Amino acid sequence: MFEKLRKILGKIDADYADIRHEVKKVTEIIFNGQELSQIGSNSTDGYVIRILHNGGMSTVAFTKESDADMAIAKAMESARLISQNIEKPVRLAESEPVKETFIPKLNEDPRDISIDEKLELLRKYNNIPLSNEKIVTTAIKYYDVIRERHFINSEGSEIREDLITTAVTGEITGKDGNLLQNVRVRAGGSNGFATVRNQEENLEKQTSIVLDLLKAKPVEGGTYDCIMNQGLTGVFTHEAFGHFSEADIIESLPAMREKMKIGEKLGSDVVNIIDDATLPEQLGFYKYDDEGVAVRPVQLMKEGVLTGRLHSRRTAAKLGEPISGHCVAEDFRFPPIIRMGTIYMEPGPHSFDDLLTQLGDGIYVLEQKGGQTAGENFTFGAQYGYMIKGGKIKQMVRDINVSGNLFKALQDTVAVGNDLILSTVGGCGKGQTNIRSCHGGPHILVKNVVVGGV
Amino acid sequence: MEKLLEKAKQVCDKAEVFSLGHFNHAVSFEDAKLHDIDSKIQSGVSLRIIKDGKLGFAYTRNLIDRDELIHNALDSLKGGVAAEYTFPLTKEIPRLDTYNPIIDKISGTAMVAECRRVCDILSSKTNGEIIMGTSVDIENIRIINSEGTDVSSRKGYYSAVGYIGYPGSGGGLWRLYLSRKFEEFPSTILDELIEFYNKSSKAVEPKGGRMKVIFMPNCMETINWRLLSGTSSKSVYEKSTPIADKSGEKILSEKITFSNNPLDDAVPGARAFDDEGVACRNFNVIENGVLKSFFYDLEYAKKLRAEPTGHGYRTSMWGGDPMTLKPRPSMLHVRFKPGDKSLKQLIESIDRGIIIEGALGAHSGNIPNGDYSIGTSPGLYVENGEIVGRIKDAMVSGNVYETLRDVIDVGDTLYTYYWGGHLPPILCDNVNVATKN
Repeated sequence: MFEKLRKILGKIDADYADIRHEVKKVTEIIFNGQELSQIGSNSTDGYVIRILHNGGMSTVAFTKESDADMAIAKAMESARLISQNIEKPVRLAESEPVKETFIPKLNEDPRDISIDEKLELLRKYNNIPLSNEKIVTTAIKYYDVIRERHFINSEGSEIREDLITTAVTGEITGKDGNLLQNVRVRAGGSNGFATVRNQEENLEKQTSIVLDLLKAKPVEGGTYDCIMNQGLTGVFTHEAFGHFSEADIIESLPAMREKMKIGEKLGSDVVNIIDDATLPEQLGFYKYDDEGVAVRPVQLMKEGVLTGRLHSRRTAAKLGEPISGHCVAEDFRFPPIIRMGTIYMEPGPHSFDDLLTQLGDGIYVLEQKGGQTAGENFTFGAQYGYMIKGGKIKQMVRDINVSGNLFKALQDTVAVGNDLILSTVGGCGKGQTNIRSCHGGPHILVKNVVVGGV
Repeated sequence: MEKLLEKAKQVCDKAEVFSLGHFNHAVSFEDAKLHDIDSKIQSGVSLRIIKDGKLGFAYTRNLIDRDELIHNALDSLKGGVAAEYTFPLTKEIPRLDTYNPIIDKISGTAMVAECRRVCDILSSKTNGEIIMGTSVDIENIRIINSEGTDVSSRKGYYSAVGYIGYPGSGGGLWRLYLSRKFEEFPSTILDELIEFYNKSSKAVEPKGGRMKVIFMPNCMETINWRLLSGTSSKSVYEKSTPIADKSGEKILSEKITFSNNPLDDAVPGARAFDDEGVACRNFNVIENGVLKSFFYDLEYAKKLRAEPTGHGYRTSMWGGDPMTLKPRPSMLHVRFKPGDKSLKQLIESIDRGIIIEGALGAHSGNIPNGDYSIGTSPGLYVENGEIVGRIKDAMVSGNVYETLRDVIDVGDTLYTYYWGGHLPPILCDNVNVATKN
């Protein structure tokens, strides 16, 4: 493959160029209720070329090798047009050329497991909720995605790295009268098929939560002090803060760039946040990004002070900050953009009981049900929660969505637990879907959270 | 494609070949400056086969080895996915005006110039941070099947998105314009964007409570995803819709007519057939508040003993890669019947309320039940018929089946919306708004 890519690269007369080719192999099995609705394995592939010429940078993605000449011509034309119309030429931060083939070690390679075994495992999981009469349907999916990436650039890098992701994911829906409630199922990771084995207890627990939700009352809208569990701390860290650590989000927002200057005190003293995609065996693990830059840990916030940012080579040069190796694409259909790897709030000193005592009255909210951010505002859903009175867990509540402002929420995070957990299934949708987006944290106590009821 | 179909027919009972070619060229300006010009030239082929009542499915980006694709489809039969339906024989489909060859001639230079023109207008009339994008998309679809169907479409459209951000917040207001040819962003749309931005540049923190709310087209996924979940044949089959047995009953305000208009080629994105080759037609799903019809693909029509309605699309909640997705019941061409009040009149009729210009978290919460709980991103606060600022840290929540019973008026202007929609603003009463005060 490298030889083929070298030939294509040789046709490009530019200051800089890179080519990424990917073969993407996907196995999917889906149950909707009792019915198997999809099963199969497929392979697709394609190319992405990036060209930097006279300060103009352009990208073209294409799927047929025979379209390579047309694609190069299109990218060159666009790069020239940019160079003629841009005020400041694009530069790429320095990055050492790398020649390496990296195939991750797995705890059971999903390619070695037959599709029949995968099917039977999923069927077994699916039958757990469906054995209860109040569970009206499920949508349970198994997938493994194998990305075989080859990357070369005009600076001499030649990298082959495989990314292998395995997951069981879906929803369990229960019904009582006219009330419908659903809860998500999540298991998986980057280090092999073993991450989706032995999930029976997980399915049983999620089923019992749906049944409890059918008896729970909706939360009353208002402002509450909240304890978030690890899953929600992760989505809070990702949605509320993490996206603003991505340099491509703030590079073209001058006022926000001013607010998010390195060294600014944005959070309370207890808030420490890091992105570390080098952590082995975690969902977000990778070695090289889609620009061929080795990923490195970045301390993003230390005791509430902004200390770092996630970068591509272009944004690192523009903002004059260190490269970090966070320029990642969903697959061969897309140019790489800046993405979080494994972002989490670092654990603090408090036990869960400490946090309950400190909270007094409020809500304990658990597990994410989708999150979204727009500028400094964020919203995410919680799968369920419990009212807390006098530091004691009381009745379950349902239909919880919380909303807030990034800067206020970081300041209102007043206590951090000691029980870090990282997510095992990803799906951040910043224009492209990142199934390896990993986040987490411990239990945390946040004051003055706006909760929308129904 | 024909060779693939012939080969597939030799090893199965029924077969369908779906091919898609997509070209995209996009220019983006950020902070009113040229930022990116990117292109995509992508294609692929997807094969569905039916053998002994079971479905096989496979896809590829490069149809180099037909035998391998057929082998993958045959392999997937082993799982035993039931296929009680057959592929349609579609002979006649309406001719739609979805492609103007002039779209091939749009130059990158012209797209850059248009972005610059709009950026100059928005920058000169506001103090906001300006983002602007233009894009050309050309999409070719062809479906052939063993029953003799051979249908194809070529769709081309130009899109422009103008955005004004509130400095320091990262949030902002935007408008989309779609056309089958290159056109300047209409000044009426830009004027509204500028007016709304300037009136909402101040952040306000009013008290929460129940109030009037205008759902603008930019937040309409809040309503659409819940109504589409409720009226999908898949939800009916899975008993996951609260309105499964309400056909013929009044479930919403008589001011709400929610319809499916794939044949409306005045709007880019019209379709004469769905992704299964079934002919499309226009019909009302909810008419004057009365539930009239659910929508069906081939699979769920068969399961529920109904006729397919041309709603088998290869899409997911967030779009997805059509090649890799099996068709499922999806309604892409959503319309709400417009009313007779202008947006200005709707706003003037509000004593205290919010205009929701964007929803955060429309995808979270209990969608099957119709519940929503969204952050406003942004929400423009209205007092005594005037926009007085943008509301800080507010959540708007409710259940669409309750909210849309309390409709005061539907606006008279249809806004182009992504995914083929064409939607008016909807003013509702007694909507719950939570704030920090």
